[in-house]
Amino acid sequence: MSAVLEFLTSEYSIHLVILVGMYLILSQSLNLTFGLGQLFNLAHIASYAIGAYTTALLSTELEMPFFVCITASVALSALMALLLGGISLRLTTDYFAVGTLAFSSVITALLINWKSLTHGVLGIPGIPRPEIGRTDYYNNSAFLGLLYIFVVIVLWLSYIAQKGRFGRSLRATAEYEQAASTLGTNVGATRTIAFLISSACAGLAGSFFAYYLNYIDPSSFSLGEMIFVLTIVIIGRPGSFWGCIGGTVFLVLLPEPLRFLDLPSAYLGPLRQLLHSVILFAVVWWKRDSIFPKQRKV
Amino acid sequence: MLDILPQLFFNSLITGSIYALTSAGLALTFALTRVLNFAHGHIMMSGAYIFFLFHVQLEHSALVAACEAALSMSLLGAVSLLTFIIPFLSASALLPFVTTIALGSILEAATSMVFGVNVRSFPTDSASTSIECAGVFITPVQLLIIASAAVIFLILGLVMHRAPVGRAIRAVSDNTAAAASLGIPDRRVLFGVFIVSVLLAGYAGILVGYETNIQPTMGGSYSIKSFAAMLLGGLGSIWGTVLGALILGFIENLSVGLDFGGYSLPAGYKDAFAFAIILLVLLVRPQGLLGTKARSA
Repeated sequence: MSAVLEFLTSEYSIHLVILVGMYLILSQSLNLTFGLGQLFNLAHIASYAIGAYTTALLSTELEMPFFVCITASVALSALMALLLGGISLRLTTDYFAVGTLAFSSVITALLINWKSLTHGVLGIPGIPRPEIGRTDYYNNSAFLGLLYIFVVIVLWLSYIAQKGRFGRSLRATAEYEQAASTLGTNVGATRTIAFLISSACAGLAGSFFAYYLNYIDPSSFSLGEMIFVLTIVIIGRPGSFWGCIGGTVFLVLLPEPLRFLDLPSAYLGPLRQLLHSVILFAVVWWKRDSIFPKQRKV
Repeated sequence: MLDILPQLFFNSLITGSIYALTSAGLALTFALTRVLNFAHGHIMMSGAYIFFLFHVQLEHSALVAACEAALSMSLLGAVSLLTFIIPFLSASALLPFVTTIALGSILEAATSMVFGVNVRSFPTDSASTSIECAGVFITPVQLLIIASAAVIFLILGLVMHRAPVGRAIRAVSDNTAAAASLGIPDRRVLFGVFIVSVLLAGYAGILVGYETNIQPTMGGSYSIKSFAAMLLGGLGSIWGTVLGALILGFIENLSVGLDFGGYSLPAGYKDAFAFAIILLVLLVRPQGLLGTKARSA
């Protein structure tokens, strides 16, 4: 019993719980656009990256306090969504996917090449843990507490957004665009708001990611990361609130036992990727008739 | 500044030819199925690594290795099509895109595990000595890239517009149901076209290995660049896509090759241009250069 308790309070478990928390924000917000709205949003990791870099730069170069950094991260990610949404939300499914994919590739290219701002592939080291007033969040269990305040807020907001009137409108625009618009739903506005909220939350997750790791570089915001979050939403059934939470916990913790297999570290990354993609494919294969409600058209 | 223009022109043509070979297959498949095959770049990467296995690691001669690679690629293409694309064609348009993302990711992870994540290249002892011709340096490999792309597209053009099988392909891409009702075996046409597209991509991958180098993670960016070429030329139009690929090659090389009043862009921004083009095209002309009208998917 005490061994179990010891494991649960160990640094390793705290690390895993923090990881789950950040991915909960990231996946639940993607669930809003990709799951409920069926907007094939591949720029989610770009919002995450913008949030992370904003916090990293503000807290290292300008030594800005926690709330300024976090607000700026959220605001910039939301602004990005507004810009990208203006270009891409009027497009149909596959064009939207390619457009958001292209956008996130532009962001990756900027992170790598805009060396005077982002330090390129070297990344930004020395991001300090947040301090609020006299309280600091240097140790991981304190940081976990701070993070989970935001996780709960985001999950609560997502729950309201998904189950309430807005969620129903969004679901309607995905399943039957013309009918939704005939019945008085402003399709464009509904999608833009969903995209905005989703992107803002990704920015928040990015901010915490930067604070937690103390160091960020472009490799954390790769296409592989996007596929990982997409896999979470898909295996939890797109549009399902609890499914998304279950999917996050399952997929974040799943590859952890691989650590104890004593494999060379060069194998670990690809093996994780292989595991995720096989699971993604298996779930889509198994649920191929029901995973997305069929879109209806006049 | 003007004296580097011929060299830039050739470099652009080389890049453009490789992009054209890669993206033509994607456009053919898209025309038949309306599936954006995200794994296309990863299939190209696999072609390069299969050739690497036979030619460099097992030391078979280039020609033998090429035949072995072609056989393996056909097999890979057949398995990919039957497992990752065909079962999902009747469902929502999002599904095949998701499954090909999974396929690409599987190929990338598998290649990284077998060959390691490091950059590899093919030995080019005699083929890399450049020949100077009117102030332009060009290697035999680069000549081969341009010449073989030209020949391949000539043959492809003849097949598509003169041969009965080309008529069948165009019929299926115009209207699958109508073509099927007229007795055209649409699944067999798709199968053949997909294998050809995989072989073209694999060939382009091998050329990249000779021209620069290969890496397991190169697939995603080639997929996106092929999307860019396809969007630029018009979704589903092969010749539009080939044109788009050439334009992409020129834009990439000219953007970083020219200096604008003493200031030139760092070479790393090359990639950003391809992706920015996609956004620009979507904003200004979603139907592409040679496309007729935007299709609602």
